Amino acid sequence: MGHAVVSPIREPLITGNKTYHQITEDLCRPTETAPGLSWIIAFVISLMFMTFGVFCIAWTIWFGIGSWNLNRTIGWGWDITNFVWWIGIGHAGTLISAILLLFRQKWRTGVNRAAEAMTIFAVMCAALFPGIHVGRAWVVFFFFPYPNTRGPLWVNFNSPLLWDLFAISTYFTISLLFWYTGLVPDFATVRDRAKGIRRKIYSFLSFGWTGSAKHWQRWESLSLVLAGIATPLVLSVHTIVSFDFATSVIPGWHTTIFPPYFVAGAIFSGFAMVLTLMLITRKVLHLEDYITIEHIESMNKVILATGSIVGVAYLTELFVAWYSSYTYEQFAFFNRAVGPYYWSYWGMMACNVITPQLFWSRKMRRSIFWTFLLSIVVNIGMWFERFVIIGTTLARDYLPSSWSYYVPTWVEIGIFLGTIGIFFVLYLLFTRVAPVVAIAEIKHILKSGGNQYVGPHATHVLHEPQHGGQVDHSFMRGDHDANLTAAPLVPVVSDPPNFERTRVEVVEKSNDYDNDGNYIGLKNDLTKVEGIGPKVQEHLNNAGIYTWNQLANTEVNKIKNVLEAQGGVYASMVPGTWPEQAKMAHEGRWDELMKWQDELDGGK
Amino acid sequence: MKNHQDTTWIGISDKNNDPEMQEMPQDEFVGLPIAEAMSSEAIVENANANRRDFLKYLGFGLGAATIASCETPVRHAIPYVTKPDAIVPGVASYYASTIVNGGDYCPVLVKTREGRPIKIEGNPMSPITAGGTTARAQASVLSLYDSDRFKSAGTITDGVWTKAEWSEVDKAIGSKLSAGSNIRIVCNTVMSPTTKKAFNDFKATYPNTKVVTYDPISSSAILQANQANFGEAVIPNYHFDKAQVIVSFGADFLGSWISPAEYAHQYAKNRNVSKGSGSKMSRHIQVESGMSMTGSNADNRIMIKPSEQGAAIATLLQNLGGGSSPYKVNDKAGNALKNLANELKANQGKCLVVSSSNNKTEQTYINKINEILGSYGNTLDFGAVSYQRQGIDAEIQGLVKEMASGSVDAVMLWNANPVFDLPNGEAFAAGLAKVGTKVSFALSMDESTALCNFALPTHHNLESWGDVEAKRGHYSLIQPTIFPLFKTRQAEATLLMWAKSPNFDATADQPYYEYLKENWAGMAQTAGFSSGRQFWDEALSNGVFSNNSNGGTTSAGGVSVGSGSITKPSSSEIELAFYETVNMGNGQYANNPWLIEMPDPVMRTVWGNYLSVPINWNGDSGKLEGFRGVGRKVPKGIADKLTVNYNGVEQTYSSVPQFGQMNGTASIGLGFGRSVVGKAGKDVGQNVYPWCSIDAEGNTQYYATGAEVSGIVGEDEEFGCVQYHHTYGVTGQYEGEKVNVDEVDIVPIGDGYQGAIVDRTVVFRDSLSNIDNLLADMKKKKKVAKHLNDATLYPFEEYSENLYSQGHYWGMHIDLNSCTGCSACTVACMAENNVPVVGNREVSRHHEMTWLRIDRYYYGEAENPNVLYQPVMCQHCDNAPCENVCPVNATNHSSEGLNQMAYNRCVGTRYCANNCPYKVRRFNWLDYNSADLFGGNQNNINGEDPAYYTDNIVRMVLNPDVTVRSRGVIEKCSFCTQRLQQGKLTAKAEGRRLRDTDIKTACQTACPTGAITFGDRNDKKGELNSKIKSPLVFRMLDEVNTQSSVFYQARVNNKKLDA
Repeated sequence: MGHAVVSPIREPLITGNKTYHQITEDLCRPTETAPGLSWIIAFVISLMFMTFGVFCIAWTIWFGIGSWNLNRTIGWGWDITNFVWWIGIGHAGTLISAILLLFRQKWRTGVNRAAEAMTIFAVMCAALFPGIHVGRAWVVFFFFPYPNTRGPLWVNFNSPLLWDLFAISTYFTISLLFWYTGLVPDFATVRDRAKGIRRKIYSFLSFGWTGSAKHWQRWESLSLVLAGIATPLVLSVHTIVSFDFATSVIPGWHTTIFPPYFVAGAIFSGFAMVLTLMLITRKVLHLEDYITIEHIESMNKVILATGSIVGVAYLTELFVAWYSSYTYEQFAFFNRAVGPYYWSYWGMMACNVITPQLFWSRKMRRSIFWTFLLSIVVNIGMWFERFVIIGTTLARDYLPSSWSYYVPTWVEIGIFLGTIGIFFVLYLLFTRVAPVVAIAEIKHILKSGGNQYVGPHATHVLHEPQHGGQVDHSFMRGDHDANLTAAPLVPVVSDPPNFERTRVEVVEKSNDYDNDGNYIGLKNDLTKVEGIGPKVQEHLNNAGIYTWNQLANTEVNKIKNVLEAQGGVYASMVPGTWPEQAKMAHEGRWDELMKWQDELDGGK
Repeated sequence: MKNHQDTTWIGISDKNNDPEMQEMPQDEFVGLPIAEAMSSEAIVENANANRRDFLKYLGFGLGAATIASCETPVRHAIPYVTKPDAIVPGVASYYASTIVNGGDYCPVLVKTREGRPIKIEGNPMSPITAGGTTARAQASVLSLYDSDRFKSAGTITDGVWTKAEWSEVDKAIGSKLSAGSNIRIVCNTVMSPTTKKAFNDFKATYPNTKVVTYDPISSSAILQANQANFGEAVIPNYHFDKAQVIVSFGADFLGSWISPAEYAHQYAKNRNVSKGSGSKMSRHIQVESGMSMTGSNADNRIMIKPSEQGAAIATLLQNLGGGSSPYKVNDKAGNALKNLANELKANQGKCLVVSSSNNKTEQTYINKINEILGSYGNTLDFGAVSYQRQGIDAEIQGLVKEMASGSVDAVMLWNANPVFDLPNGEAFAAGLAKVGTKVSFALSMDESTALCNFALPTHHNLESWGDVEAKRGHYSLIQPTIFPLFKTRQAEATLLMWAKSPNFDATADQPYYEYLKENWAGMAQTAGFSSGRQFWDEALSNGVFSNNSNGGTTSAGGVSVGSGSITKPSSSEIELAFYETVNMGNGQYANNPWLIEMPDPVMRTVWGNYLSVPINWNGDSGKLEGFRGVGRKVPKGIADKLTVNYNGVEQTYSSVPQFGQMNGTASIGLGFGRSVVGKAGKDVGQNVYPWCSIDAEGNTQYYATGAEVSGIVGEDEEFGCVQYHHTYGVTGQYEGEKVNVDEVDIVPIGDGYQGAIVDRTVVFRDSLSNIDNLLADMKKKKKVAKHLNDATLYPFEEYSENLYSQGHYWGMHIDLNSCTGCSACTVACMAENNVPVVGNREVSRHHEMTWLRIDRYYYGEAENPNVLYQPVMCQHCDNAPCENVCPVNATNHSSEGLNQMAYNRCVGTRYCANNCPYKVRRFNWLDYNSADLFGGNQNNINGEDPAYYTDNIVRMVLNPDVTVRSRGVIEKCSFCTQRLQQGKLTAKAEGRRLRDTDIKTACQTACPTGAITFGDRNDKKGELNSKIKSPLVFRMLDEVNTQSSVFYQARVNNKKLDA
């Protein structure tokens, strides 16, 4: 791969100084090892939820929709709320796969596989609801135009529900194909490493992939074609879902703003769900090097953008209701805000409009804790949004005589919990049968040129066997060790001596230097050191100090000289603690550093 | 071989036992020409079937067996051996008859299909009701199929019924009755001359027999007062149509008082404002404590406490110059009564004052008032007086004492249930215990029958012969419309048999029929018929006949007020008013699920009696306040429970905050809480008869003073109420300004009392004095709607012209001014269209299935608002929002403008129901009809097992022309499409064009006031088109561009603000 893949001013998308082999090892391992305790616990819990959900579905079909609390006024409640919610969640995957592919957002490769899987599972959960919420689930085939002996008995092409059926089934098909296409080379990788029955299964799954140039070429073409088809689908699916409401005459539903607002909301919730899942997956499967803070930040930016769009849409709705001077529309929004379901409206507003604004702060965007928390908040908020649109609106429409109220029964709640169970069961199984990060694709963005073999910093190091998680740093010490910010976290199973592999797996050390020998490689965030601001960091960089390690090894006087050379306020700075702070940062002793910084005053 | 002991044979040869016939069974494949057919073919060497043929036959046999076994067995289908003349399968026959239950009276046409009565229609030939019906009459057909009825005669020991043969019972009773026996026949009002004759014939044999008549909800005082003033213990002949000013002191004459269908019909005549500007209408002032159905229709209401009623009557009399009132009423009412007196004086001769008071003296005051106002001879007379209430309370009280003394030998309960419906039912029960022979003729087990020795069930009304004289000189006949379902015997026949009356031929085929006919034999001459046969045939065919020759007259003048006392207003904090509800009557209808599930017109509650408590607009806080904070959770479907404590008896009620309920009062419906009753009616509501009291003259008083009502003691999570939202622009004073109460009352977020309400185009209403403003407002709104609706790519006018210019174009007109909210249409619709009963729990979850509902809105001032009723059914929109959202085209539009449902095609997405602005679509949430694939989901109603509609007897009431819907499909009003089809077929068979008035929907025929008109919009000269032209006509939610086919005429009241 060429060195142009990664912008020199951006931080690499894969950290940890990975080799191609390490990537293969890291990503294939979950499919090859026995699951850990946490996985088993999660799986059992999910399975229990799923079982309960299936029981509730059976209950519904046996006893009728009357086992739910929907009524003559509120014909759709939790069922369609959950349907739209899941469909929304199912939006991130294809967006990441298709649109970000077309926009050449390389960071997508770290998360696209899992996001696509999530899409498919979410759409499956979503599709369940229209299937079981109908009064007579055994005749849902009426939805399809089918040949019959009763003459031309067509479906109603005017009905948005029919469009919905087509939109969702198309979306599901394309997403599934896209996902599976991406999986083929990875399955082949797993196959090549597997033995026995697993090898047979993966052999079947990988469709006889050999990795020949022709295969790669066709694979690339197919991916591109599918991306081309999928891109409009991302926009169309939720647009059409929004038609379920927008084409009706019910005040609060009958609005033209719905399509864009639904799409934005879907991406919003989809990314939130991707984050929720990826943060857990990343931690559990030790994928921090593939799904970095950079990824998280990028996704948080998308959440911020779409969250703001959704917020504007809410306000636009309110404005239009007022501006239209149409009493029913006005009342619908009035009722949302202060009617009996006020909590869902304010829950929606708080979760979807206010909390994502926290992501204007870079610290928030890069904080795993806050990201995780907010991703859950967003998912709750988006559920509220759908409930507001569906339940709250239906509860009080045109005729005051028919207004009613609705609280779900245990069956309805059970089905919702059941879909969450189904979703996680499928996802957990997925993490065990397929590489959760696209191996083939992520290798594209691994920054590796030939630099390590040439120039002043060439490192010709063979990949030596490593033992028990211990990394022998000594052999890696070249002219600099800037990238070795921390020891690799994963224990590496020792490879059997294999000439072919060993030959390939020469450690490409670093291409942190350009052809002129100037350092352009990894930079640490020096502002982590109390006392250093962005300007000072710039000056230090200009002075050749890019990393914490470098700073740690720089004498205080030398730093002072750099600062004094700048004059002005910089001259009076006291960098006494900087090397020590930088050392802590370099060694990953963040807690200690934070504690110390609390005591420090402006870095003095 | 064949045993010929049985009487079955195949043909002569079989019967003669021919040898040939005997051989036949030996040859298994006799008649099958297989062998011959095959042997005739050259390729077959011998006649034996080869392997391929074997396989062919095997295949055929298997197939045939499979097909044969697929056939669904038809159960209970018994063909006629000889087809009766009157029965053509698939064609309905109508029989004129009369629905009578105590004093309830309704001349009807009974629709029968294949010998089963399935629907009640009003008899338009009746001069009394003019074709109107009541909800009770509509529902009576269901009581016929009540599976809790006695199936035969029986004996009762400790409340347990044991089957007995009629002959045994007759013998047992016969041995106990002797000529000297003190026999008491206890009945509610009997309007039948022939029954009375039967009583007399019985008395001829048993001279110590006395007939004790009482009415559970009594008009005893009116009878007594008229006896005192005019010498006749009757209810006068009221003419609500002739009155310009109607004043009612507590009489719910449109809902339940004496003859509601008749009075409603009269009442509506004088309140038609269809020409708009310059219309005239009567004034109606209701003086009452709770909001009755009649009060809700009144122009002005004067609120008094129940104990103030006497004082209010006396005050009015005083204001009219007729003596002085010993007591004062509350100031507000006092002022209003002053104004009322002036208004009445100004309308001398055109006033009618009525009262439900059961105090004799108060009723003489009423008579005096009517006399002063010159009403006699104008708005009420003693010509065709009403016989619908005949009970004198003192008589039954006398019987209670008599029984207690042990001097009564036998008591016969003639469809009366005194143990339940007397204030001192316990005393009656105690007395009954001392009576030797106790016989009940009741149709099913009730509280009183349970204490009898013998149950001798009479026929149901629809199985009986009989006659009725509801008003003097106006007769109607009762004829059976079905062979008695059970081994019952008409009670009159039983009495006459026991009496061995010479007038009665017990050996006749239909003895009581002969007896009845005989009784009318003389009538032919009087009524001007040439022969008795001609008279009888015509009378029976018409169902009604009149003979005014025996109408008595009572001279007006000289009414002297009684010397007795009127009720003294009580100073107690809370007074309870007990009232007869429109649906439950006096408790006789307690086992009729159509009536139990019919929402109370005012409270909109079902399955029980609820405590209605005052609701006030607190102008200081800007809040509507329920009594003791009650009702804040009503919008969420939760009613607060309150405890009522009276006379040491404590009952807990779910409460309904009620506009127009006088402060310091609460109302509870009578007739609920039957303890010994069939499955449906068990434990529905609570019995408040024991809380009624008996005054010095023995008359029952329907109120209680000094009751204690607690604060909130609990919550009713299964609050069976079909309409939470109360108001439609109720105004009040807030911070010095007149505000829409609902719009202000939203301060606590999420706890808005009823949420906010804005100026919606759902109904238009105003007072007559403001009618020009109303018309201007309607015009403006229509203009806005037209402007919006014209902005379309699909111009509706062109479309409708193309589509509907041929054939029919159905539409409906509903006059909101004529609609009194009586709900006869709702029950009629349930009967006609097989609308299921779902039970209280389901209604509390808003799973009620009614195709036609009546929306009730309060408007006007919050303190004492006016009320309007709006019947809402499918609006059959020409641009229907439901149609285009159905993914499978299960609902679509006919070329005649109907919105149709194909139940078979419905998947049940419920999108149509969501998208219906009128919320008229109903979803079968559960299997309410047991019409479903699955067996395990039958819904159980009120603890019944099996569920109500799974009962084969009850299912006989189903209309075979209307599909019984299964679970999971949407249903809704079809404009009675089966009637449309019937009408079209009739017209076709008669070779003529269908006339506008040929087809009447079930709701239309049920309506006592003619508020509903159905017709063809293409018939430009038709009745419908003439009504649609009224400037007061509007379409609900016109601006949504649904192009609905139901046209409403605005509600106009005649309110006077200073009155």
